[in-house]
Amino acid sequence: MQIYLILALTGLLWGGVYLLMATGLNLIYGVMKVVNLAHGDFIIVGGLLAFSLFTTFQISPWIALPIAAALLFGVGMLVHRLVLAQIDMAGSQGELRTLLATFGLSYIVSNTALLIWGGQYESIPFLQDALKIGPLSFPKSLVVCSGAAFVLALAVQLWLTRTASGRLVRATAQSELGAASCGLNIQRVRLFTFALGSAMAGGAGVLVVLLIPMQATTGSLFGVQAFILIVLGGLGNFVGAILAAVILGLVEVSTGYFFGANAASGVIYLIFILILMFRPQGLLGQRGRI
Amino acid sequence: MSATGYRAIQHRISGGMFALLLMLATTLSACGGAGATSNAGPASGPIRIGFSMTETGANAAPALFELQGYQLGAEAINAQGGLLGRQVQLVYYDDQGSTATTVQLYQKLITTDKVDLLVGPYQSDLNAAIAPLVSRNKMAMASMDANLTVYGGQYPYLVQSITQTPRYMSPLIDLAASKGYKTLALLVQDTAFPQALAAGVKAAAQAKGISVVFEGTYPATTTDFSSLVLKAGASHPDMIIGATFLPDSEGIVRAAKAANINAKLFAFSVGPTEPDFNTALGSAANTILGNTLWFPTLSTAGNADFVNAFHGKFGRDPDYHAAMAYGTMQALAAAVKGAGSLDQTKIRDAYLKLDIQTVAGNFKLNETGRQLGYQAYVLQWQGGKQVLVWPSDVANATPQLPHPAW
Repeated sequence: MQIYLILALTGLLWGGVYLLMATGLNLIYGVMKVVNLAHGDFIIVGGLLAFSLFTTFQISPWIALPIAAALLFGVGMLVHRLVLAQIDMAGSQGELRTLLATFGLSYIVSNTALLIWGGQYESIPFLQDALKIGPLSFPKSLVVCSGAAFVLALAVQLWLTRTASGRLVRATAQSELGAASCGLNIQRVRLFTFALGSAMAGGAGVLVVLLIPMQATTGSLFGVQAFILIVLGGLGNFVGAILAAVILGLVEVSTGYFFGANAASGVIYLIFILILMFRPQGLLGQRGRI
Repeated sequence: MSATGYRAIQHRISGGMFALLLMLATTLSACGGAGATSNAGPASGPIRIGFSMTETGANAAPALFELQGYQLGAEAINAQGGLLGRQVQLVYYDDQGSTATTVQLYQKLITTDKVDLLVGPYQSDLNAAIAPLVSRNKMAMASMDANLTVYGGQYPYLVQSITQTPRYMSPLIDLAASKGYKTLALLVQDTAFPQALAAGVKAAAQAKGISVVFEGTYPATTTDFSSLVLKAGASHPDMIIGATFLPDSEGIVRAAKAANINAKLFAFSVGPTEPDFNTALGSAANTILGNTLWFPTLSTAGNADFVNAFHGKFGRDPDYHAAMAYGTMQALAAAVKGAGSLDQTKIRDAYLKLDIQTVAGNFKLNETGRQLGYQAYVLQWQGGKQVLVWPSDVANATPQLPHPAW
């Protein structure tokens, strides 16, 4: 009986980790419809930056988090201003163009990271102790990552739906023409949204590097997992993403326990295919918003 | 002259100039190419040793040690007068850890670059991929593929210059048996080298009467080890041993610590040999055992000088990959001297006859090229430092066992 409880809680917690990495992408893709293939690489840069700050300057990851977030915010602004803002988003080719642009960006970011940090897997020994709840124990880092993830996702959902600035972002996403005619500065909103999503990726990296060793060129793995999660949840829907995170985490951990780790690594992609076949808008998404 | 006539002459002159410039450029680039032409005559110029190395990709970090070992080895050969009176030069490319790329690169090295000698790449599966190509072209190659599948005689030009995989963890099992441990949970990454390693562990365990109570495999990209570790711990084994690389060994240790899965002995391949294992895990790395093929304190031939020279050139201590690569260069030099020429068949025959001492130990092959002389050892992280703990006659510290509760 206890094993089921452990599996359920572990699955929930790991789902949270995936959610943490995906929330920034949910904002950028779900709301802005920009396919950022470099998202995983931004996460890695945040993580490796935290690693360098910790090992060279003994700076705690708690302090590295706002530093990495601010740095990636700046990077996101630069990328948007120099690259994405120049791309013609009109018509059906708009998303494809941003996809190609961010595909190239992914190579640039990961190879720059490779030049700076080399090819080794890096991680930080922080919050490695176990958090004991009665007879159960979980890694503190996992609990922190997960907690941060659910809090962040809820916060973003509330921001988008309940605040004025959040509504500006959604308005721009729904109809640029309509928003512009209401007097919104479209370019500024898109710039801010992309920068914010990138900052979230950097912050996520700082927390996740405590759990998963990161190497400069492994960003695409995180990026793919993040995409699957947001598609499963419904693009742009953060409550959907929370739901999807819970499902994916539970399924992966349970499959790993009962059927072996090889099955677990494949089951997420299996779910992804099934979702695309039977409910392409995701769990809580709206049809036609893909 | 009419205007059109003048322009026509201009065009003819510029066309001719263009052709001349083109020929000049081609000749200059051919001469300036990084030794990749046949301008160097056969009896002069440097002897070129070709290989590919995983400079980028998941295994870049240990592969870098290998590259540096090759580089230092080549320097040492040149400092002692080179080979056959000529200096040696390394010609290498980045194979990115990809099988297809490695095959193409070795094809290039053999047919286009026409290198004089070959040594192998880092990963076992890459070595296996180029074995047919190298043998077809009848080029002798010292390969650091620890797996035995390619040394059965079907690729007669391949020789093994690293400890064979089945031996990697035998000393660890010896140590475990000496402590009276009886049960083992084995965690294996689903790639060629860990699988061969696991087979060696099982054979050694069986010989010592240790039973494998759990065996679990996982793909290389796994990040969450909680289920695997829970299942391994369910049978309360005395030992948890992982046939791993660096990130998965870290993941397993973290998962075990988090789930409070205790065992008397924790040991992993590759991971604990890397200094980054300790950087990433901090105190959690304490008393974790790893297998290694070499250690800086061993009194193999010229080891202390090798360690100093490596540190001087690269600013860090060598690991066993670097030592094996350096040893490969030493064996290569001995084989070429034994053959007395660059004839590949003579060099291969000379390799098979070698019985020399390198920094990695005793280089000695059997008749199909399998490495018999090189051994393995057990290291342990104690107080943030790597120490050699087994076999006891070469150890510089006593093993701290059993592993304390998390």
